[in-house]
Amino acid sequence: MRRASNVIFPALCGFCAFLACGLLFGLVFVIAQRGLPAINWRFITEEIRQVGSEGGIFYNLIGTLILIGTACLVVVPLATGLALTHAVYARKASTRSRLGLFLYTLNGIPSIVFGIFGFIVFVKYFNWGKSWLTGGLLLALMILPTVTVALIERIKALPRKYLEAATGLGLRQSQIVWSIILPQSWSGLITGGLLGLARAAGETAPIMFTATIFAGASIPHGVRESPVLSLPYHIFILAQDSFDPAVAAKLWGSALVLLALVFALSILALPLRLRLHDEAQG
Amino acid sequence: MKPKDNCLLDESVSTAPAREIFRISNLSVVARGKSILRNVNAVIKANQVFGIIGPSGAGKSTLLRCLNRLSDLTPELEVTGSIEYRGRSINAPGIDADALRASTGFLFQQPVIFPTSIYKNVIFGLRHIRRGLSFAQLRETAESALREAALWEEVKVRLHDSALTLSVGQQQRLCLARVLATQPDVILMDEPTSALDPKSTAAIEELILQLKARHTIVLVTHNVPQARRVTDWLACLCLRDGAGEIAESACCDAVLTNSQCREVIEYLNHG
Repeated sequence: MRRASNVIFPALCGFCAFLACGLLFGLVFVIAQRGLPAINWRFITEEIRQVGSEGGIFYNLIGTLILIGTACLVVVPLATGLALTHAVYARKASTRSRLGLFLYTLNGIPSIVFGIFGFIVFVKYFNWGKSWLTGGLLLALMILPTVTVALIERIKALPRKYLEAATGLGLRQSQIVWSIILPQSWSGLITGGLLGLARAAGETAPIMFTATIFAGASIPHGVRESPVLSLPYHIFILAQDSFDPAVAAKLWGSALVLLALVFALSILALPLRLRLHDEAQG
Repeated sequence: MKPKDNCLLDESVSTAPAREIFRISNLSVVARGKSILRNVNAVIKANQVFGIIGPSGAGKSTLLRCLNRLSDLTPELEVTGSIEYRGRSINAPGIDADALRASTGFLFQQPVIFPTSIYKNVIFGLRHIRRGLSFAQLRETAESALREAALWEEVKVRLHDSALTLSVGQQQRLCLARVLATQPDVILMDEPTSALDPKSTAAIEELILQLKARHTIVLVTHNVPQARRVTDWLACLCLRDGAGEIAESACCDAVLTNSQCREVIEYLNHG
C-alpha cells in the first residue's frame, strides 16, 4: 500500500504540473501562431487606423507602458511603507494582523469594482474625466497587496543575525532599515512588482471607464481629460469585431505583443533579481 | 601569553580600585512565564576581562544581552532589577539604547559578515554612528581597527574583496575590527571562539589580553581553559529550579582552583 502511494502521489503531482505547463505552452503557441503573421515593424510603429483593421498599435503600447509605469512609481513607495510598517514598525501583533487582513481584502476585490470606484471618485468627483493618472493609480491599488506581501515575506526571511549585528553596533532603527532591511529585500519588491505589473498590464476592467479609449489619443500632456490608448482595451474592443479577418489578425498580433511585454519585463529584471538574491544569500 | 595578576576571593577587597563600569543588581529575566535568570548581582570594573561561565541554558548569553539592551529585540523577555552603566541605570527614562549599544560593542558566537567588501564591513557601524567623517578618516580608522584586530597584514591588499572570502577565524577578527572601529568602551563577547579552530582561538585570546588595556571586556565562554587564560574575574552561573543564578563570582583563579561551591565544582569537573 505504502509502495503504491509512493508511486501514485508523485505521478498525480507530475500530471498536474504537466497539465499546467501544457496549458500555458498551448496558450502561448496558439497566440504566437496566430499573432506572428501580424507582427512587423509598421505594426509596432504605426498608430491605429480604420477602427483597428489597419495600422498598428504604437500608441496602445505607449499607453500601456505609461499606465504600468505610473502604477509602478506609485506602488513602490506605498508597498515599501506598508511592508515596513507590518514587518518592522508595528509592535503589536493585532496591528500586524489588521494590516494583513486589509491587504488580503484588497487583493480579493474584483477588478471591475476598482473601475467603478475610480469612475466615481476620480472621473466624476475630482472631475478628471478619463485620465492616464486615474488608470495608473487604480492599477497601483490593485497590485499593492501582491507587491507588499512579497516584500513582507522577504523582510521576514532576512537573517536575524544581520539585524542583531547592526543593533549591537548601535545603529538606529531607521539606519538599520536603510542599510540592512531594504537593500536585502529589494529582490522581494522586484518579484512582487513583476507579478503585479504583469497582472496590471493585462487588466481591462479598472481602466475602461477611467483611463483609456479605443482611438484618438496619443501622448497625454496633462492630467484632466487625458486618456491613453492601451493594449488590453484594444484587444477587448477588437475581440467584439473579430469575425473580420483583418481585425482578427490585428487582435492576435496585439495579444502577442502584450504577452511579449509581460515576458520582457520578467526577462529584463531577471539579472537584477539574481544579483540581489545572491547578495542576500551572502 | 602574559600571566594574569593574582587577585583575592572577595570583590570588596579586590586588588585594583578600578572604576565600576557595570553594576548589576537583582537582575531577573522571565520569558513567557519561565524564569531564565534570577537575582543576578555583579560588578564589572574598568579594563577587566569579566568571564561568565556555566552550563548550557543557564542564561549566560541572556545576561550578556541585557548589558546593552539587545534583549529589547526579544519582546517576550521581561527584565527586572537594575543594571547601571557608569553609574546610570540603562533603563532610566531618557537613556538612548542605541548610544548605549554604540558604547558597548557586541561580538557574536558566529561571525556575522555583511555580504559586501572587507572595507565596508569594517566601517559599517562607524559610518552610521559618526556621521560626517571624511573618506580619509574612515580609511584611517578602518586601518587602525584592522591592525588592532591583527587582521591588517592579511587583508591590506584585498580590502575591496568580498568579506565572505575570508576564513571563519578571519571573519571573526573582522567582526572584532568592526566593533573596534566604533571605539567602544566595553566589548561584550558571546562565546566568540566556539566556531573557530585552535589557531584562530589563540589569536582571539591574544587580542582579548591586548584589548583590555583600553577596553572592558565581558566574555561568555564554555571553554574553562580559555577562561583560565584570559579572564580576571569569573562569574559562574548555575541552574537552580530551572533559572540561572550566580553560584560564585570571584577572581578567576579562585573560582577555577579553589571553589567552595558544589555546583561550580561539579560544572568544572563535568563541564
